[in-house]
Amino acid sequence: MTPVLRSDGLTKRYGRRPALSDATLSIPAGRIVGLVGPNGAGKSTLLSLIAGIIAPTSGTIEVLGSQPAASAAQLAKVGFVAQDTPVYSALSVGDHLRLGARLNPKWDDLLARQRIEQVGLDLAQKAGRLSGGQRAQLALTLAAAKRPQLLIFDEPVASLDPLARRAFLQSLMEFVAELEVSVILSSHLLGDLERVCDYLVVLVGSRVQLAGDVEDLLEEHRRVIAARGELDSLPPGIEVIQADHTARQSTLVVKDTTGLLAQVVPAADVERLDLEDMVLAYLTRAASITAAAPARRHTEQPLEAQR
Amino acid sequence: MIWLTWRQFRAQALIGLAALAALAIFLVILGMRIRGTYDANVTDCGTTCSVTNARDIMEDTYFGTLLLAGLLIVLVPALLGAFWGAPLVAREIETGTYRLVWNQSITRTRWLAVKLTFVTLAGVALAGAFSLLLTWAASPYDKLLTARFEPLIFPTRNIVPLGYAAFAVTAGIVIGLLIRRTIPAMAVTLAVFAALQILVPTFLRPHLQPPVTETVAFTADTTVSEFSTGGPTNKGVSINGYGSAVPGSWMLSGRVPLLDAAGNQATRDTIDGCLKGDFRRDMACVAQQNMHFEVKYQPASRYWTFQWLEFGAYLLLGGLLAGFAFWRVRRGLS
Repeated sequence: MTPVLRSDGLTKRYGRRPALSDATLSIPAGRIVGLVGPNGAGKSTLLSLIAGIIAPTSGTIEVLGSQPAASAAQLAKVGFVAQDTPVYSALSVGDHLRLGARLNPKWDDLLARQRIEQVGLDLAQKAGRLSGGQRAQLALTLAAAKRPQLLIFDEPVASLDPLARRAFLQSLMEFVAELEVSVILSSHLLGDLERVCDYLVVLVGSRVQLAGDVEDLLEEHRRVIAARGELDSLPPGIEVIQADHTARQSTLVVKDTTGLLAQVVPAADVERLDLEDMVLAYLTRAASITAAAPARRHTEQPLEAQR
Repeated sequence: MIWLTWRQFRAQALIGLAALAALAIFLVILGMRIRGTYDANVTDCGTTCSVTNARDIMEDTYFGTLLLAGLLIVLVPALLGAFWGAPLVAREIETGTYRLVWNQSITRTRWLAVKLTFVTLAGVALAGAFSLLLTWAASPYDKLLTARFEPLIFPTRNIVPLGYAAFAVTAGIVIGLLIRRTIPAMAVTLAVFAALQILVPTFLRPHLQPPVTETVAFTADTTVSEFSTGGPTNKGVSINGYGSAVPGSWMLSGRVPLLDAAGNQATRDTIDGCLKGDFRRDMACVAQQNMHFEVKYQPASRYWTFQWLEFGAYLLLGGLLAGFAFWRVRRGLS
């Protein structure tokens, strides 16, 4: 099956500032992909590249087997809900549906009208007067009713209050389950995504820190607690992501793709990690690398771990 | 896509049509009145008709009004560029809706092609309607005064306003695409258009074809509007205002020196004996001294060539800008 996304050395620079550096990814179809990272990490850049709104500075990208936005047929395969869910403020909700119907050959008008009714939008209402949540619903309806194979949401819940967030994501997930599409959605809050995604990409400081199937990732990562010094020489194949030392003991977060860990460390010293701890380990590592390189930007905010 | 373009463009189009209607009424009334004046002084006056008299009446009555109407005609493309062209892409970028429309199942090239063609053609049609109305309204005046090649009249008649409109709208679109903000894009579009309206008649139009240089013998019948014998220090003799003697032409020379048979500028001293105070007799006296002068002009027969050349040049410029816009949009924003 064609992967949803395959990129190699994908890089986007604005002037000399890198927005996305050397992203090499291969994401299989049929997944709900969570793209997590602090603000300014390059999430929007990556999603805009996937949607073909912007072109890469270097590297290659293939979405569902073709170059993004290269043809009308390719555009029909990808639904993109951009950040802040832009809509035409002078056009009514009904006008937006007509727009969708006229510009998309595979438009599913029944789906669109049902969705609009379900979320309680008035067809005659001007889109400029909708609330943030209503606008997000309209943009989602537009993107979904074109019946794409891949739906992309850039921070779909960023403008919503915490209560509306959960409701929106809930309805979003029910909706996409019916549509049988691959989904990529981004958030600066892991808490928004961890319940819904089964594939995770962590982006910090314009670089992909971690990407993979959530189950596989959880299987590969372990926390090891041992007396200080005992873990100083781990065999190759076991990567230390994070290490905390006290006077007497060391706590490591390691990635083990070889299965060697069980042979080196007694099982009693090894713990499973939850998704949040694992992601935090990578964020901490990325932040320390960032701090070590002085000329980097200071606007990167730490990832908020909201539960 | 045409539906969306029309849906977004509707309000601006209606304002344009309303302006067209208002100006059309004004121009039709003006045209009727000019015809009335023409008939009264040229066709229906029998033996008392005098072309000179008719010209004077016509110019006195309508020069100001037609100048103003001409100004409006040139202003139309500028406004079209600023209010129709500049916001077309700039507003999409400014409000972020380009991210919505660029994700519909239609390529950006097609999106821009429909928008650009639709609005540019609408602009050309509107400017064409205005130009047609003014050209019609002023035709008796232009016929009588044979001044349609004049820099103030040339850009307001026939086909050049259509070229201006095509250029202005496309320029507005491209400037909006580059500046990405509506209001500054509108201002820059107006500035660019105004600059071209000054630069083209000053530096380009006179040289579209090499002007005709004519050596004119100064005779007693030579009509000039000014005969100058120079100041106290510069005693060179010069003349001005020979233009009306070459009807319908665009006189490029203003003041030209009066030359003697050897080709040197006549001085006050050479003609001093002729200057007795009676202008006509003095001129006749000077005319006997075998004087001549040189003028440069674009003859009346070139009027349509110049209309097409300037129209074509603006169209070409607009086409180049459109090509750039397509190249830019295909690459995606930055």
